[in-house]
Amino acid sequence: MNRRRTYSRLLDYAGLTLVLVALVSVFGLTTEHFLTLATFRTIANSIPDAVIIAVGMTFVLIIAGIDLSVGAVLALSSAVLGVCLVDAGLPLAIAIAACLVVGLACGTLNGLLVIGWGLPSFIVTLGMMEAARGGAYLVTRSRTQYVGAAIERVSDANLFGLSFPFLLALAVVVSGQIILSGTVFGRHMFAVGANEETARLSGIAVRRTKLAVFVISGLLAALASVIHCSRLTAADPNAGIGYELQAIAAVVIGGTSLMGGRGSVVNSFFGVLIIAVLESGLVQVGAQEPIKRLVTGLVIVVAVVADYYRHRLRSPKT
Amino acid sequence: MRRRSSIRVVVATCLVAWAVGGCGAEKASQGGTPAADKPRIALIMKSLANEFFATMEAGARDHQQAHADEYDLLAEGIKDELDVNRQVQLVEQMIGQRVDAIVIAPADSKALVPVCKKAMDAGITVVNIDNKFDDAVLQDKGVRIPFVGPDNRKGARAVAEHLAGRLRPGDNVAIIEGVPSAYNAIQRKLGFEDAMNAAGMVIATSQSAGWEMAKADKVVSAMITEAPDLKAVLCANDSMALGAVSALRAAGRLGDVMVVGFDNISAVQELLKKEEILATADQHADQLAVFGIEYALEMIRSKIAPADKETPVDLITAEAMQ
Repeated sequence: MNRRRTYSRLLDYAGLTLVLVALVSVFGLTTEHFLTLATFRTIANSIPDAVIIAVGMTFVLIIAGIDLSVGAVLALSSAVLGVCLVDAGLPLAIAIAACLVVGLACGTLNGLLVIGWGLPSFIVTLGMMEAARGGAYLVTRSRTQYVGAAIERVSDANLFGLSFPFLLALAVVVSGQIILSGTVFGRHMFAVGANEETARLSGIAVRRTKLAVFVISGLLAALASVIHCSRLTAADPNAGIGYELQAIAAVVIGGTSLMGGRGSVVNSFFGVLIIAVLESGLVQVGAQEPIKRLVTGLVIVVAVVADYYRHRLRSPKT
Repeated sequence: MRRRSSIRVVVATCLVAWAVGGCGAEKASQGGTPAADKPRIALIMKSLANEFFATMEAGARDHQQAHADEYDLLAEGIKDELDVNRQVQLVEQMIGQRVDAIVIAPADSKALVPVCKKAMDAGITVVNIDNKFDDAVLQDKGVRIPFVGPDNRKGARAVAEHLAGRLRPGDNVAIIEGVPSAYNAIQRKLGFEDAMNAAGMVIATSQSAGWEMAKADKVVSAMITEAPDLKAVLCANDSMALGAVSALRAAGRLGDVMVVGFDNISAVQELLKKEEILATADQHADQLAVFGIEYALEMIRSKIAPADKETPVDLITAEAMQ
């Protein structure tokens, strides 16, 4: 049983790796400099915020929810971070703590609203998306805050040429996967997503599980905002617009079901990688904006269709 | 309880009576003077969440306070830069409110023309600011709406010419464009191209980052990998210039690739001082709506024929900031 599961997971990874390899070879053949270390270092250093958000989104989709507020929560928490550093002149550690608390609070509020009134998370987080965006504009007075050297060191730190944010994102992926496949909480998430009623009847604390997932998603959005802010050395109230959809796309490419009950954090990481390689490659090819969007849309759909067949091939046997 | 609410009714009635009476009295007392009807001017902007329009609105409000006896101001914006429908609704609301003039920064240079024509047919003076209406559509509808605003192409050319002074002919440069469908994005791109071509530079690539910082960061990161010999990145706004700087910093190329922007937002001041951004253009965002309002007032007062009016764009350089 266990061996079969490991085998099927490997098959999953192999499928996504194949898509990645295909993309990389297409761009490698059509451009001069795609197949260089620089390209991959660039990609590795530009995805950590997207990866961290995708981990939270994976959890949310697994419990058959959705979190549309992550982009706006990222903007709000980075706004708080920026204002703490620039206007209040607080030390970095305290500013980061404040930023994380904001994300935690947004996530908690989302979770409480969802479980308290049994509301669909779609509408609750849609509300949070508006509210948090408004908050970001208020906090920054609609002005991009230039933070500068105070935050640069978060991104500048590195180990063997890999930036600290990338290593942090990897750590989040690894711990996310361990939580998902190795803990009771992880099993509860799958159970809640597969069938909430059954989960309740089998004695799982459904509400507590759901709340925890939204709290994690909010907290991870705030963590991503620290990285986002340090990379740009500025807090932009317009940051993260559309990140929620990009995260959902990446997670779904990775084979997590929008209907809940199925998903993997490592696969979401591959999903983010696929989108990032695509983005980077299309720029290097020199594609114009309409073509970029067209191709990105197509790849998302093709990847999801491929995932559907991969599962159909397997499911009769399991 | 009942008694309380009846007191409330009495108080409310008094307030209403006082307000109505007060207004009536005011009208009566001002009846003879020429300032009887202060014109009411509606300022319709794009997204107030955008620093540029927020600054524009603040400038207009300050101007109105300083000239409170000359006109009243109704300032409205839309939530999202691209919410054309909402802006059409706003113009219709203003027609309904029978304002004297509408000063508009259209979210779309074509789609807003019909509703503005409707406003003009209703006898409202319309002045176009920020994003110029499409000439062909204006002609087709048979209306003349004056455009009061900066020449983005000229401003971009000035920025790029300043940059050209630091480059050698034959150097590779890249352009980061705004939203490809926006008039000012197109004009700025053309201005950059004018100056770069004239100075003999090679435009290696030109791509959109949709005015966004994070997107510019990604686009420039990929560009610099594909074209390692780039000498400069010309960005159609300052947000994207900030993104370009972060991409270059991450690639360790900040010293040898120059960046220019457009708009002179507060966040680039530090970078101009550090010469991480070489130059930008200031089109006086706080004055843009004011120029339009003043022109509308002039049109109402003197019934002059509408004509376009160019407002200044200043080159801001890193040297000048030292």
